[in-house]
Amino acid sequence: MKYLRRLPLSAMLLTFYSLLFFAFIYAPLALIVTYSFNANPVNMMVWDGFTLDWYRIILGLKDRPVDIVNSSSAYLDSTDQLLEALRNSLIIATSTTTISTVIGTSAAIALARFRFRMRGFYRGLMMMPMTMPDIVLGIGLLIFFVSAGAKLGLTTIIIGHCTFLTSYVFIIVQARMAGLDPALEEASADLGANEWLTFRKVLLPQLMPGIAGGAMLAFIISMDDLVITYFISGTDSTTLPVFIFSMVRRGVKPEINAIATLIILVSIIIAAVGLWLRARRKD
Amino acid sequence: MATPHTRERLFLFGLLTPVTLLLGIFFLLPLAVIVIYSWLMPGLYGGVEWEFYHWNYGRLFGWADGVMEIYEPIYLKILLRSLSLAILTVLLTLVLCYPVAFWISRLSPRWQVVFLFLITLPFFTSLVVRLYAWLLILKPSGVLNSTLLGMGLISEPLEILFTRTAVVIGMAYVMIPFMFMPLFASIGNLDRSLLEASSDLGAGRVQTFFKVMLPQTMPGVIGGSVIVFIPSVGNFVVPDVLGGAKGLMIGNLVEQQFLSARNWPFGSALSVVIMAVVLGVMLIYVTRLVREGRAS
Amino acid sequence: MTQILEVRGARRVFKTPEGGTVAALDGVDLDVGQNEFVTLLGPSGCGKTTLLRSISGFEQLDSGALMLEGKDIGRMPAFRRPVNTVFQSYALFSHMTVERNVAYSLEVAGASKQEQKILAGEALEMVGLSGTGSRMPSQLSGGQRQRVALARAIVARPKLLLLDEPLSALDRRLRQKMQIELKALQSELGIAFVFVTHDQEEALTMSDRIVVMRGGQIEQCGAPRDIFRKPRTKFVAEFIGDTNLFETTIECVHGGRILALTREGTKIWLSEETKLAKGDAATVVIRPTDLQVQDAHSSCGFRGKITRVIYLGTDLHYYVQPAVGGQELLVVSRTDGSRRAPGDEVTLTYRPERAHVVEDC
Repeated sequence: MKYLRRLPLSAMLLTFYSLLFFAFIYAPLALIVTYSFNANPVNMMVWDGFTLDWYRIILGLKDRPVDIVNSSSAYLDSTDQLLEALRNSLIIATSTTTISTVIGTSAAIALARFRFRMRGFYRGLMMMPMTMPDIVLGIGLLIFFVSAGAKLGLTTIIIGHCTFLTSYVFIIVQARMAGLDPALEEASADLGANEWLTFRKVLLPQLMPGIAGGAMLAFIISMDDLVITYFISGTDSTTLPVFIFSMVRRGVKPEINAIATLIILVSIIIAAVGLWLRARRKD
Repeated sequence: MATPHTRERLFLFGLLTPVTLLLGIFFLLPLAVIVIYSWLMPGLYGGVEWEFYHWNYGRLFGWADGVMEIYEPIYLKILLRSLSLAILTVLLTLVLCYPVAFWISRLSPRWQVVFLFLITLPFFTSLVVRLYAWLLILKPSGVLNSTLLGMGLISEPLEILFTRTAVVIGMAYVMIPFMFMPLFASIGNLDRSLLEASSDLGAGRVQTFFKVMLPQTMPGVIGGSVIVFIPSVGNFVVPDVLGGAKGLMIGNLVEQQFLSARNWPFGSALSVVIMAVVLGVMLIYVTRLVREGRAS
Repeated sequence: MTQILEVRGARRVFKTPEGGTVAALDGVDLDVGQNEFVTLLGPSGCGKTTLLRSISGFEQLDSGALMLEGKDIGRMPAFRRPVNTVFQSYALFSHMTVERNVAYSLEVAGASKQEQKILAGEALEMVGLSGTGSRMPSQLSGGQRQRVALARAIVARPKLLLLDEPLSALDRRLRQKMQIELKALQSELGIAFVFVTHDQEEALTMSDRIVVMRGGQIEQCGAPRDIFRKPRTKFVAEFIGDTNLFETTIECVHGGRILALTREGTKIWLSEETKLAKGDAATVVIRPTDLQVQDAHSSCGFRGKITRVIYLGTDLHYYVQPAVGGQELLVVSRTDGSRRAPGDEVTLTYRPERAHVVEDC
């Protein structure tokens, strides 16, 4: 408090405003978490006591209350549906992360280590998917896949995600590459390692923080992508975001709070672990 | 033995082939397909007739035969509404983030890390979940209204949900991290002695802000604005969840053409317009960057 | 002496960003003998680094031949050449321990773990870093990293060690210490060293032979003493050590004695073999240490007035304005002699054999 009193008024206002800003960012998330424990099945604005029932319901451990089952939009038909969406999301995110990390990293190495005529073109090409609004890419892929006669499903979603996630990986690996002393690879060659050994023993370990960061980002974005998936998912391969989106569209129901809370929890854990790893590596 | 030169070419080929195939087939080709579709005739029951057809754009911009296709000013209005909404989002996030970025830049490095982490954390949380939270807050019986009613500030619930206001609030909320990071990069790198020099030379706080600080941090302001503007223009998720009929944006229009109206050529034409706006903004931004790069 | 490395007619042309071309190497011939310490010396852009990188294999020559022990290595990729480099940035692998860094060339060659450990330990001992093997490079000081880089480059006993300005990041005191150690290490190992630097003092301290380069060509090649005493050209004279230059015309040549006249009419006597004849233009070099400050009434030499005196501990620098005009002259003398002050009238004398004619370009 002594510290605060010594600050001039303007600095105090700035601090006050900034804390308000963080409250603005976190209040909505806190709200969901709170509601997810509210026992009131009809109006979640009215606190009716603490309960874990919504979690039990989404995990299939408990049947829905009668008034929800009877209402016109019982949108969580079964826990299986939710798990199916989660499974799809995980399959897509893992495959996409693997593919886009490999392709994005190769492109970053090629552009950083070789001089060739098309370099400017490739640089621009790698930036384009990031600047293209996702809705344009989504419908472009939709028309393309339908005209090509491809069946919409997991494969098309994986391909769709790779097109723009490769760019994200590229950007991050390239940043790491730019900070790398080119003499490291020369030193390796100088000491008798051929291109493959140099890649495996020097370049790859040196790039690892960038590659891991890019892969983590790709995984998170793939898990959360709604727009592109929404257009090219077809009828029977729903992902988690698309599933929640359609739930939200059909109206607010207490089970969403529980699902959303779990998603918030998991993403915070992933982000925290990722940032902790990064901080540790710097030491 | 292969000479070093041919070895190099071989490696380069191996490294670039995957990305060339991926982006060539699944990125550039689809974009080209959109442009082609936008000039084709919609089929009667969905699908497309392979015939040159410019009325898709006519419907949008004001020429139409009046028989098959009717010019509807509403489309143009929605386009302009989307643009103004994107600009509003940019301004709102800018005003919200700038003071906070400045505040964080003056903290000790340890606290800077903590607060930067807190800003990026929501970015890792599902977009739909974050928008859903605002649905809970803004709805007539939601947190905002019950709080205001309880405090006696209003006598009946405000109608915010399913209006443009709700869309702007939601859009600003999800775009904050995108504005914040480039802004902070600029403000964090600002040499504090510049501000001290300015006040030492007799400038007041307001003058120092407009004459020194804002020009010095302009790269961050512009970078953040571009990064926020581009995904805002075509966004359809935020208006879909929070906007209702009053908050319909061009993104929703595109979605309707593809998933309910099944008029793909018209939807493609709308997408081409979004693409053109985005490319235009990027072009201005990049030429500016290049010009500045040359000047310095 | 048998040659370990022979470079013949090396040429390498780069494109400039403006679209022109520049020859980084423009017909370079160089021999390096067994167990010889050769220094490539020159200003930045003279081609010394390009020559080094061509030998190590990071650059390809456009034309010319590169022979190592009589075998053509010009088309050989860098990793096959039995030549190792100490990099300016050290290029230590930050993700490996010191020991793994040092043993890297053995590891990629498929040596056993035990052999790696023994040889890496020996190499570390040789550079005075025993016991640091388990540390990471980031835990070492700049000087220690430099030694690790050195140990890593010698562990496989290359035929030739290339050093690319390895001491430039060290402070002056440490650099001088390392110069002596490097020289000692070289004679201990019996490996030929090719050392690149732009620091003339470094070159003079360590080298058996100095190769002065300029504009992609070799300007002069010789023992440090010859380079310093008998620079072939004005460029070499000015690049190595401080120099007093006189633009003169030959007045007469008689036997081994030459009389040259500056534009202002000062006479300079030289004592050396020359092809010059009366009336030729000649640039004469006299080193600042070869001039002696005498009282004003001494008979022959340059008369002038001291303008500045700079005290440098062991040495004194006098700047002297010649009475007849022309450029100020620099004289370096020991501090233990008699001190003179600015404004003193003096005469500068020299021994004729210490004056030397250089080519103009």
